[in-house]
Amino acid sequence: MSLFDLPFEEPEPEPKPEPEPERPARKPPAAPQRRIHTVSELSGRIRMLLEEELFEVWVEGELSNCKVWNTGHMYFTLKDANAQIKGVMFRSSLLRLRFKPQDGLRVVARGRVTVYDPKGEYQLVCEHFEPEGLGARQLAFDQLKQRLAREGLFDERRKRALPALPRKIGVVTSLDGAAVRDILKVLGRRYANAHVVIRPTRVQGEGAALDIARGLAAIARVGGVDVVIVGRGGGSIEDLWAFNEEVVARAIAGCPVPTISAVGHETDVTMADFVADVRAPTPSAAAEIVVSRHDDFLARIDRLTRRLAAAIDNRRHRLESRLRMLEARSGMAGTRGRLAMRGRHAAELTHELGRVMRAHLARRERSYQRLRLTLETFDLRRRLAGVRTRLISGEGKLASAIDRRVHGFEAHLGAAAAKLDSLSPLAVLARGYAVCWNEDRTAVIRDASSVAVGDTITVTVQRGELACEVTERKPPTEDHTP
Amino acid sequence: MDSTIKDFEAAIAELETIVKKLEEGDLPLESSLQLYERGVQLSRFCHARLEEAERRIEILNERGQLKPAPASLTEDESKA
Repeated sequence: MSLFDLPFEEPEPEPKPEPEPERPARKPPAAPQRRIHTVSELSGRIRMLLEEELFEVWVEGELSNCKVWNTGHMYFTLKDANAQIKGVMFRSSLLRLRFKPQDGLRVVARGRVTVYDPKGEYQLVCEHFEPEGLGARQLAFDQLKQRLAREGLFDERRKRALPALPRKIGVVTSLDGAAVRDILKVLGRRYANAHVVIRPTRVQGEGAALDIARGLAAIARVGGVDVVIVGRGGGSIEDLWAFNEEVVARAIAGCPVPTISAVGHETDVTMADFVADVRAPTPSAAAEIVVSRHDDFLARIDRLTRRLAAAIDNRRHRLESRLRMLEARSGMAGTRGRLAMRGRHAAELTHELGRVMRAHLARRERSYQRLRLTLETFDLRRRLAGVRTRLISGEGKLASAIDRRVHGFEAHLGAAAAKLDSLSPLAVLARGYAVCWNEDRTAVIRDASSVAVGDTITVTVQRGELACEVTERKPPTEDHTP
Repeated sequence: MDSTIKDFEAAIAELETIVKKLEEGDLPLESSLQLYERGVQLSRFCHARLEEAERRIEILNERGQLKPAPASLTEDESKA
């Protein structure tokens, strides 16, 4: 039978006040300093001492005899090499654990000591277990976080702005991890002329934290590095632990250039994230942040440059129209005697303004043109795009022009072939005409007098030829003369 | 580059001020033109700064020396 055959209930029943123990009616004889407790009294005092003193304790040990009763509470023994303590974890606390406690597991337990009077036993009522290592670390993490927060290391006012145009981007991470590749990939794609300086460090295991801290100090000393990304790719919480250590947090806080922390995945939050000027959820995101800052400034400069040109153009237009107006007024004044004075005044003004403008324009013409040219070349990319569009449409036009030409040729050729066909002797023969040749087929006979009676001639009909002998010649009649 | 321009951020800030002043438009012509020239100078400076850098990836070693990054790092990137 277990020692815990009487399970504790939850919530723990308030200790019932012990009924006043029955006192003997007579006074104890002759020993006034001797105080005799009842068992219940003593047990009550022990309970008070233990429960007040050990109201909240953290204890590390190995679980054994874990047993969950049908009430849902778990009873166990927590032990180390030399001692053991009975313990219980109530159902509600047990359900909140993120792992399943089992025999042999080393844990850090948080709880309070209580005394169970009916059996004269004390035990640990645990509210929380953490697998060993993690628990101690979590505690250290919380304490460090509080300490650094008190020192003001997380203050928003400390956070520095990232440079718009980093001369060199520092990266402190492992060369073997995914982080460095992710960062370079993003920069390669979106920030073509980035200058990156990588300080390789260990990012997990013994000595990693110190290595990272040293890396930060070293890279900040490289001339031109004006932003540093520090981090690593995803991993278990143990893998990321170096970024929770004080030495890293302080190195980030003390870094003379703005820092971006980029540790693990979106959901991983480390001490480095609290201290860094900017927290990026991942290494890729850190690179994106640098890039987008760069893009923002690029767009801002372009906007400003356009506004600058527009403002001066506007100014020029207003001056020109004023000049025209004055010229017009002065012209009008000249025709009207009573406005002669004003006219003269206007003319003088016009003259003066004209002189000033001309002087300016003459002086500025060359530089102005040069500057305009500069502004235009800023737009070179768009202009190239325009040229390309025109080129493409030009190609289209050329192709259709060639098509039209080809079609013209084809039509022409068809007509020519038809004409040629109608001229072909074969076509004539098909209609029943025949051609007469001299005997050796060197000439067509057009004149009856060109052959003699008895000559052999060749006659070509539509299909085949005839060899014929001339038996008679008839001179042409007048009617037949063409 | 122009010694009157401190750095990129300063150049942008100054350019912004100049554009605002010009847009308000109540300056004498002479100062307008001067501002405009300065504005163009600043704009050129910014663009030059944006373009001038050259893509480089370096490794800072334990002895504080800068070496070109191993090809494997950059190769991987161009494949991606």
